[in-house]
Amino acid sequence: MRQKNWYLTIGVILTVCMLSFIAVGFFWTPFEPSAMDGGARNAAPSAAHPFGCDAYGRDILSRTLEGAGSTLAIALAVLAVGAVCGLAVGALCGYYGGPADALIMRLCDAVAAFPSVLLALVVLAVTGPGKYNVIGALGVLFIPSFARLVRGEFLKYRERDFVKSARLMGVHSLRIMFVHILPNTWPTLLSGLTIGFNNAVLAEASMSYLGIGVRPTEPSLGYMLKDAQGVLFTLPWCTVFPGLVAILLILGVGLVGEGLRERMGAAA
Amino acid sequence: MDKPMVRIGHLSSWYGRGRDRRQVLRDVSLTLAPGEALGIVGESGSGKSTLAKCVLGMVADVSGTLEVGDPRPQMVFQDPYGSLNPAKTVGWILEEPLRAAGVRDRAERRRRVREFLPLVGLEEGHLARKPAQLSGGQRQRVAIAAALIQGSRLIVLDEPVSALDVTLQAQILQLLADLKEELGLSYLFISHDLAVVYQLCGRVAVMTGGEIVEEGDVDQIYDHPRHPYTKKLLAASLALD
Repeated sequence: MRQKNWYLTIGVILTVCMLSFIAVGFFWTPFEPSAMDGGARNAAPSAAHPFGCDAYGRDILSRTLEGAGSTLAIALAVLAVGAVCGLAVGALCGYYGGPADALIMRLCDAVAAFPSVLLALVVLAVTGPGKYNVIGALGVLFIPSFARLVRGEFLKYRERDFVKSARLMGVHSLRIMFVHILPNTWPTLLSGLTIGFNNAVLAEASMSYLGIGVRPTEPSLGYMLKDAQGVLFTLPWCTVFPGLVAILLILGVGLVGEGLRERMGAAA
Repeated sequence: MDKPMVRIGHLSSWYGRGRDRRQVLRDVSLTLAPGEALGIVGESGSGKSTLAKCVLGMVADVSGTLEVGDPRPQMVFQDPYGSLNPAKTVGWILEEPLRAAGVRDRAERRRRVREFLPLVGLEEGHLARKPAQLSGGQRQRVAIAAALIQGSRLIVLDEPVSALDVTLQAQILQLLADLKEELGLSYLFISHDLAVVYQLCGRVAVMTGGEIVEEGDVDQIYDHPRHPYTKKLLAASLALD
């Protein structure tokens, strides 16, 4: 009997909605995100400004669209750096094992022992703020968790008979790793990627909130929250809408991950 | 007489290192002629699987002599659920040995796979399926085809039918016997089950504690076992029947 997987259904719908919302922002915003309209200062949500305006008269909907796009881009870039490097490190460690594996894994443990935002703060204190520095710092710090996830999977599969059989047939080790084993690990990796994505969105938002993330000229959701915290009670729409977009995006992707895990569990 | 397919002389092997180093094969000698099927019988831990791994070149810590007449001997594993890549289709699994052997032309690979299918009793319709969509017997047929398609003449069969039910066992054993005749294969048949060995092999070696304690024609071993361990094994297998 096959039960309906609500997590996956709702998660996919939510994620698709949020991604479409953000995609619109790449091409069109109702107003110039940084344009100040003196007559619309502190305007509450209305037909002209559905999400209201901030103290400078900037349209919150436009800024949220742009900020969400920038948050998404940063999160995806962080994920790409972390996942690609983590995949390579984890695959090699898991497949070959030995002293090099032990050493690298202890190193990963050491890095993972610190909260990644804290370490990224240290890195950014040295390099200065900016989109690419955030991506680099967070990306590197995301490597250990992916490496460990991938390593566990490769450790599991390297002793399987189909891998031994491929070795006997003379298949190259790299091909065994990335063509024979990797496709079997997709379900696990995919759910790992969704968790990683959410962590990346949160980490970027936290860092921008602390003022060491992106520069003011390239706003992200976290930066908008920081910017508006002084007017949290007088102009609540300045924080509620960017916050809501971040929450819904994370919730959607998180549900997809949970749904995938559930489906894997059902298949196993 | 032809050059033997496998000649093992005074082979010893160890697992582990330092103080944990444990001897698993003690002074094993045997030969396997081309076209012959030799059964290696023993309980788990008797060293029979290690012997097979030595022949396949998968064990590093060995002493003695080992000559193998096939550059790339292959193995058919016990569990057809674990020996086929669950993420791939049957067609891909059968093409992969050819890819590894350097057959670059896709059409050529496909042609050779299609030619091979009837030999192992599979059909073209099976090619697009994943292992999970096949029965245990069909999977073992795929595993056998994958082991043979590179043209290897020496095949190690590691309990190839013990995971299957009895009717399937008979079918797969018949298939193995037919393939042996048709392709001139040599088998090293690892099993704990004397009855199964009797159906496929002409000669059998009985192993326990890392040593070969008795070796000879299957009929002779069956009718006049000399070593007490062989008698024990026989009694156990007859009791099951």
